Amino acid sequence: MPEKMVLVIFSGTPDRLLGAAVLTSGAVAMDMEVDIYLMLWGVYAFLKKNLEKNKELSEHKELAEELEKGLKNAGLKPWYEMLKEAKELGTVRIHVCSAAAKAWNAKLEDIYLADDFVGAAEIVSTAKEAEIAFFI
Amino acid sequence: MSEGLPKEELEKIKPDKVVDARGVSCPGPLLAAKRAITEIPIDGVLEVLSSDPGTARDLPKWAKKVGHEFLGVIEEPGYWRIFMRRKK
Repeated sequence: MPEKMVLVIFSGTPDRLLGAAVLTSGAVAMDMEVDIYLMLWGVYAFLKKNLEKNKELSEHKELAEELEKGLKNAGLKPWYEMLKEAKELGTVRIHVCSAAAKAWNAKLEDIYLADDFVGAAEIVSTAKEAEIAFFI
Repeated sequence: MSEGLPKEELEKIKPDKVVDARGVSCPGPLLAAKRAITEIPIDGVLEVLSSDPGTARDLPKWAKKVGHEFLGVIEEPGYWRIFMRRKK
């Protein structure tokens, strides 16, 4: 059975989401399965209408422009493109907290790369079984 | 940096495929290697060019973890040449 990594993404800022995308890519490269669980602000950030306009950082907001240039110079894609590439290359499932989706009045098709809706018990039980679990 | 064949041996290798991932930061080269290694025959050799120091450390670990043979690294000015043999 393949090893599994769980990411619970509660945050919705692009700097944190970039971290999530890098970890997902690394896990996929290592032939691990990845289950991503989107919670409140994570769901908001994954709304298709918000992907590109969501630019506010969680830390050092004054460095947003500098960071954007730096990431471009480093040859890094935006978090959502990196995540899409990882999903194409390996097993990455993106689950959405149904309560958060309701809060944003979002349907599954409104949420980028989303596979299904889940409840809290499933998030906890999958994280319990995974080799690695992160809360972002 | 990592164990592997001596430079003189590595330089004699004729890779089946070369991926030039210079200018791309981690994890781009890692994913490029994962994709490219499926495009060469088993026992074929993949060479990855990377200017990212994290990748130069990652790729040997990746190759070992997923069951390929890490052959070694040649350090060139500003980048690394990383060799691995597809084993599955």
